[in-house]
Amino acid sequence: MTSALVRLEGIERRFGAVMALSGADLALRPGEVHGVLGANGAGKSTLFNVLGGLLRPDAGRIEVGGKAVILASPRDAWSHGIGLVHQHFTLVPRLTVLENLALGTRGPGGRPGAVRDAALEVIGRTGLSVPLDEAVEELGVGDRQRVEILKALLRDPRILVLDEPTAVLTPAEAAGLFDLLRDLAGDGRAVALVAHKVDEVLEVSDRLTVLRDGTSVLTCSREETSEAEIVRAMVGDDDVDAAALGLGDRAGPRGVVGQHESRIVAELVGVRVAGRGGSGLDGVDISVRAGEIVGVAGVDGNGQRELAAVLAGRLAPESGTARLPEAVGFISQDRSREGLVADFDLTENVALAFQRKAGFRSGSWLRWEALEGAAEEIRRRHDVQAPSVRTLASSLSGGNQQRVIVGRELEMAGDLLVAENPTRGLDIAAAAFVHEELQRLASDGVAVVLISTDLDEVLTLSHRIMAIARGGLREVEEAHRTRQGVGSLMLGTDDRNG
Amino acid sequence: MNQAELVLFLEASVRLGVPLALAALGETISERCGVINIGLEGSIIAGALGGALGALAFENAVLGVGVGAVAGLLCALVFAVVAVGLGADQIITGTAVTLGGLGMTGAIYRARFGATGTELSLPTLAGVRIPGLAEIPLVGTALFDQAATAYLAYLLAPALWFFLFRTPYGLELRAVGESPDAAEAAGVRVVRVRFLATLFGGLLAGVAGAHLALAHTGTFAENMSAGRGFIAIAVVVLGRWNPALVLAAALFFGAASAFQFFLQALGFEVAYQIFLALPYLLTLAALAGWVGRARAPAALALPWESKR
Repeated sequence: MTSALVRLEGIERRFGAVMALSGADLALRPGEVHGVLGANGAGKSTLFNVLGGLLRPDAGRIEVGGKAVILASPRDAWSHGIGLVHQHFTLVPRLTVLENLALGTRGPGGRPGAVRDAALEVIGRTGLSVPLDEAVEELGVGDRQRVEILKALLRDPRILVLDEPTAVLTPAEAAGLFDLLRDLAGDGRAVALVAHKVDEVLEVSDRLTVLRDGTSVLTCSREETSEAEIVRAMVGDDDVDAAALGLGDRAGPRGVVGQHESRIVAELVGVRVAGRGGSGLDGVDISVRAGEIVGVAGVDGNGQRELAAVLAGRLAPESGTARLPEAVGFISQDRSREGLVADFDLTENVALAFQRKAGFRSGSWLRWEALEGAAEEIRRRHDVQAPSVRTLASSLSGGNQQRVIVGRELEMAGDLLVAENPTRGLDIAAAAFVHEELQRLASDGVAVVLISTDLDEVLTLSHRIMAIARGGLREVEEAHRTRQGVGSLMLGTDDRNG
Repeated sequence: MNQAELVLFLEASVRLGVPLALAALGETISERCGVINIGLEGSIIAGALGGALGALAFENAVLGVGVGAVAGLLCALVFAVVAVGLGADQIITGTAVTLGGLGMTGAIYRARFGATGTELSLPTLAGVRIPGLAEIPLVGTALFDQAATAYLAYLLAPALWFFLFRTPYGLELRAVGESPDAAEAAGVRVVRVRFLATLFGGLLAGVAGAHLALAHTGTFAENMSAGRGFIAIAVVVLGRWNPALVLAAALFFGAASAFQFFLQALGFEVAYQIFLALPYLLTLAALAGWVGRARAPAALALPWESKR
């Protein structure tokens, strides 16, 4: 048995009333890729932030190379050879890629020339190609992710820790990243990564650790376990049926007969808008009928944000017509900027939308008891991990914030729901719940537009599928309703991913 | 305006522009790391009184400037402890420091020199004439026959530009002003950077105040800073947070102030308030027309605390 490069034992960390970690263990061996899995709020990010020196544990022991260490700052972590790639980008948007790479590399290494040479060397070795002199704010998410990884690799870490590196990548990009991680581990490094998708982690990892409620509940090698066992460990219910969590079943509802007779709820004809940091919309036609789920598949940055904004009534078309209903729910993918007000509590965040609904105001007065009741109902129904509805949105984990938004917008969607990557950042159980809710909503006669970069999600849920590429929208024929078929339409004329 | 008058005008432009340049260059550094120090006015008036008292005590204007610099720094220290250390609102803290600075200096001045304001006569900073450069026609004496503090401003502008855009320390400072969380994740000590930058700004504002008292007037008067701290903050915006442009903007503002004196002297039959307002109107026009596209540091005026 190889001795561990780094070992965490009995790590505890509390945030106010929430116990994020309560006795978590993790050991990383040289030469291995170690997958860390867990449901929402299981403590995966917290554990990685402890390892990266960003958070101090309240209790527990950290050993690097057999010696106990204190990781009080990111600098401490680097000095012990630990490099952390963050889930939330820690790049400075207005600085160039090169400046971001140079940041924090003091002394002569901070000279842009020296950093450039070092960066080009790593790029040459790993194939992580990024434009060095572009401002980070001009880059897409995939490029930003590469910059984050590059930044960690520049310090030549012995231990590389990645928090959800694939969340924003296309399948091809993710596959490339996994190859790179295997190579890095092959050089004797220890690589650990967090991901939500079990199959993804199984594909790349040698060993696995599953966290549940802040505790390590399963550590084993890949050969010793199965997808079903991992899911059971994550969810903590031995009776759980993997199929019920949406694993394996990707048949989808397929053009349900009878839907075509129902009325058209929302319709865009020839809509054009200019792009906001991606493609705009270039003459888009779409009509959505009551009771159907229309899936829009595509790679990030091809006009999805604009399409969602127009359908949700947040953005007026520059030309063309948009006919939209009154009661529209909108699940924005940018939850921190468009979804919730961080410094508002749950009730206030619910009130922001619900104050437009009948029963929640009398004249110009808000009815706070009713709003609080509605917030409490959302918290309960959607299993939001928060001490009360008075909890500030900013103190919730990303997955729990998403649950609040989904819960609120489902209630707002009387006629139409626009859902943009509604399960991004959610664990399997939470994602399955969202999927069920979307289907329930559709069967209640609400029109649903599901815009997602997760092809499996689109294939599973949609009655009809459209592919978006470079601001153009095309209906996917029944015959092409496969991963490959939709995938090729998604790429459109976009040869970058060809 | 004949040539002699023009030379006088240019000389006055630089003289009025130098204290603005010093204060604005310091403020540029603190704003670049996300701290807007509205308490600048307090540092300037403290620097003026400190300069006056120091020059009297040591009978030496240069040492007076040193005392003024320390006085400005102490004012900024109060601001830094409350706004950076404790994370209080920067605007409110700065306003308190400015009001406190104006009140305290007035009180100390009266206690020391009496309520009537005895005719105070201070050692003044001698003009330093740079041989050769001062002989350049028209602008020579305006630029190169000034108090030593003017040359400090000329040298600081390129030096600070180099610091901000060519050194790893400047990079860290700018990162703190754009995204303190990202800077911390990169291992930058955010609070320390903000603290030091704020103190540096206060130091230069103190020098600016000492310049007001010692370079030309040779006296101290209550409220003699006359809003220059706030004008300096506008100058930073006008100069787009770039030290070289900030120096130019300060001289431009100095010229606008000098211009109104000349218009008054020429005896136009217009209410003098119009002339007084001129520099401010010019600033507004310049801000509207030229700064439009420039963006302030993203984390400017946002209190920050480590989440650890």
